[in-house]
Amino acid sequence: MPEVKLVNVTKRYGRIIANDHINLTIKDKEYISVIGPSGCGKTTLIKCIAGIIEPDEGEIYIGGRLVNNVPIEDRGIGYVFQNIALFPHMTVWGNITYGPRVRGFPPEETEAIAREMIEMIKVTARVDAYPDELSGGTQQKTAVARALMTRSRLLLLDEPLGALDLKVRAALRYELRRIVKDLGLTALHVTHDQEEAMSISDRVVVMRRGRIIESGRPIELYMRPKKLFTANFVGEANFLVGEVKLITGEGSIIDLGDGMKILSRDRSREMGERVVVAFRPEFASLGRTCENALAGKMTSIIYSGDLVRLHVELPNGDVIVVKRSLRLYEPIPRAGDEVTVSVPPENILVYPYPERGLHRELSLE
Amino acid sequence: MSSRLVVSCTLVTFIIFVMLPTFYLISYVFLRWDEVWYEVFANPIIGDENWRQIIKALIFSFRLSLSTVAFDLIFGVPLAYVLARKRFPGKGLLEDLVTLPLVIPTSGFGFATLVTWTTVAGLGGLLGMRSGLISLNAVAPFINVPFILFIVHVALTFPYVVRTVETKIQSIDMTYEIASRTLGAYSLTTFRNILFPLALPGIFSGAVLAFARSLGETGATMIVSGVSTTASIAIVRWASEFKIPTAAFMGSLLVFIAWVIILPAEIYVSRGRRAHSLSFSVPMNLTRRIIRFERFLSRKLFFIKDIVPLVIVAVAVVIPIAVVLNSVILYWSADPYTGKIEGGVVHQLFGPSNYFSHLLKATLTSIIVALVSTYIATCIAIPISFIIERRWYGRIIRTMLKVPLIIPTSSLGLSVLLLWGSSGLNLVSSGIWMIILTHIVFSVPVVVESIIASYEGSGIQMYEESARTLGATAYNAIEAVSLPLIKGGVFTGFILSFTRSLGETGATFIVMGRDLTIPVLVVNMVEALAIPAALFTSTYLIALSLVMLAIVRVFTQR
Repeated sequence: MPEVKLVNVTKRYGRIIANDHINLTIKDKEYISVIGPSGCGKTTLIKCIAGIIEPDEGEIYIGGRLVNNVPIEDRGIGYVFQNIALFPHMTVWGNITYGPRVRGFPPEETEAIAREMIEMIKVTARVDAYPDELSGGTQQKTAVARALMTRSRLLLLDEPLGALDLKVRAALRYELRRIVKDLGLTALHVTHDQEEAMSISDRVVVMRRGRIIESGRPIELYMRPKKLFTANFVGEANFLVGEVKLITGEGSIIDLGDGMKILSRDRSREMGERVVVAFRPEFASLGRTCENALAGKMTSIIYSGDLVRLHVELPNGDVIVVKRSLRLYEPIPRAGDEVTVSVPPENILVYPYPERGLHRELSLE
Repeated sequence: MSSRLVVSCTLVTFIIFVMLPTFYLISYVFLRWDEVWYEVFANPIIGDENWRQIIKALIFSFRLSLSTVAFDLIFGVPLAYVLARKRFPGKGLLEDLVTLPLVIPTSGFGFATLVTWTTVAGLGGLLGMRSGLISLNAVAPFINVPFILFIVHVALTFPYVVRTVETKIQSIDMTYEIASRTLGAYSLTTFRNILFPLALPGIFSGAVLAFARSLGETGATMIVSGVSTTASIAIVRWASEFKIPTAAFMGSLLVFIAWVIILPAEIYVSRGRRAHSLSFSVPMNLTRRIIRFERFLSRKLFFIKDIVPLVIVAVAVVIPIAVVLNSVILYWSADPYTGKIEGGVVHQLFGPSNYFSHLLKATLTSIIVALVSTYIATCIAIPISFIIERRWYGRIIRTMLKVPLIIPTSSLGLSVLLLWGSSGLNLVSSGIWMIILTHIVFSVPVVVESIIASYEGSGIQMYEESARTLGATAYNAIEAVSLPLIKGGVFTGFILSFTRSLGETGATFIVMGRDLTIPVLVVNMVEALAIPAALFTSTYLIALSLVMLAIVRVFTQR
């Protein structure tokens, strides 16, 4: 049914290219998230699909139908807004039944679908309450119910949880996935919160400067990001610059300078190539636990609830982060102590050194 | 100096100069009820003829004002929507054109419309006819009011509806409309269900302002009314015939009507942000038919909303001004049709009738009146604005300030005449000083509104508090922090009030005595059939106000 296909979709605002030849296919019943830093064009993309913005070039197909010149109201989509946008002058019931009413559904049918939808989405509010009497979470659930009332099979979520409190946001994200999966919908979810995207979607698309730079299952993006930018944007990573010294059957050995060497299982780079080595702080550990061991000096410790972040300065001046969970009876080194950091070679990612420099490649602009 | 003293002085000045005249007018009717009764209802010679005249004028005025407002709403709301939601080249120009009738002196504008439609110098001549396009007393169908009068009132009230609704729509989050469309509603259905109910307070207050303005309009109406008499013209006529009790009775009726309209509107508009939708149940098949109709309109005829209001603006505002400018050139040295130099602008200005010296004198009077009244009004308005923002009774004062803006100016003039003149306090006699007193009454609200607009967006309270924490006294903080912040608002208010004073006709007519202002001079010229001289003076007025508008624009854009 509603498979969405974008072919070379381009949208320019003056000299800024918000969407630069986007090609993307969202399969039927797939829950897909688009993430990226602010201004990467993700909102423009979802608005193009909804018909709120007309692209300058390219085609958009929904369920096999070319919808480029189809007005918003005829695209058969459900759209959930970041600022919720429940009509302030209508009650919960008035909001939920709005879609069927303006499409001229018979009243009995409207009422039946509304009851079913309220049950399904677990809208706990009184139906005669006005939006400003509800909490943010309830408002957004009502808005989701409203969006689904027209029996649309495609749900577009434009930062739906962005305006909500942290706890409510976490609870509602699983609700969203449940609703989409129970009803067998296709969903496109735009967010700048990568954790949210990772935990609810089947597939995550990473955008930057108007282009899709990578897409894949959440676990792939986390474990084996194909691009340096993704490694930085999804989760957290330490980056070190080096040169490939030797390629063996075990993997490649990278020279980081100042006598430090590190082994990676990745053998795709060439001898003598300048590379960037990346690894996630949660895969590093203190002490010599494997062949990859870097000696350094603790500079500072930051506690953040369940985790401790240890900052270690290497002999060449780079500072790397080691993350570990906080366990009782396990001593934590103090600032100034000499420590050894170990990272398993399986978790060492290697990327060619970016032409424009590491700093610009990782920048969130 | 304690702040309580400052506040009391301000309030006393405000009440005496701004509020008292209107109250005095009403109390005059009650105090001298015997005279009013004798003259209006029980005159030994004409019986209740005056009362019947009052009723006749009121009914005519209401018919005119209601049909004007209806027309304004039908075409003004779509235009407001386009101006608020769409971006297109020339939008700023269009906004200026819509606002223009607010700054052009109405008698000049009325004369421009008169020339355009009813004389050979206007559209008639351009289309090759030997007469005007339509006659002065041609009646518009259905509404049964003279066509010219209707056009003038539409042009003068259109900005109130368009600008008020435009501001309201701009304040409504566009996401609501998009949400409605994603749920399957056509653009017109969305407008009916979402935008219209949310913008209703703005539409309502725009309509009230337009209605009040049309009811009280005097300057242009005097020129184009022909044989018909509106309520505010009747007051001017009676006052000049020294039928003061009749005029006072009519004046208080108009003030009363304005009150009855404005108070509920103020309460409704300020009732809070939740505008409940108008829920009336419509049978299902009818609803479907409405939706199908809206679909048709949304798809096929939506461009009408862009075109028709433009045509109205062109017809009512642009063409008259263009025609007047054109005519001045045509009539410069002689009447182009008869060739007589007596019919030329130059002859009338510098010839035996010597209108030029009248014009110079009137210019001097106008400028003195505008400068002095605006200056005094500004001095009252600045402290009043602070009181409105900071005292609990501020809202009440603000509502009271709406009164001088909406009561017919001829009633206003009459009330000032009665209060300060020989039948009241007997302190001032008709003439330039009484004109100044009259203009202060409506200038204070104009300046206050403008100051408050700049006050509310500026976060003054916060800056002033931080000045206080740095050791400034209350007075120092106001002088060093607040006044510079509202400077723009004060200046804009000054210019607006100056322009308004320059163009005022209705009230000035009643209190002017022997001192003429320029707009009144235009009316006199028209009545003396000195058309070329009137053409020149109108152009002169329009040019003056365009300069003012340009100054405001430059200043507010910064």
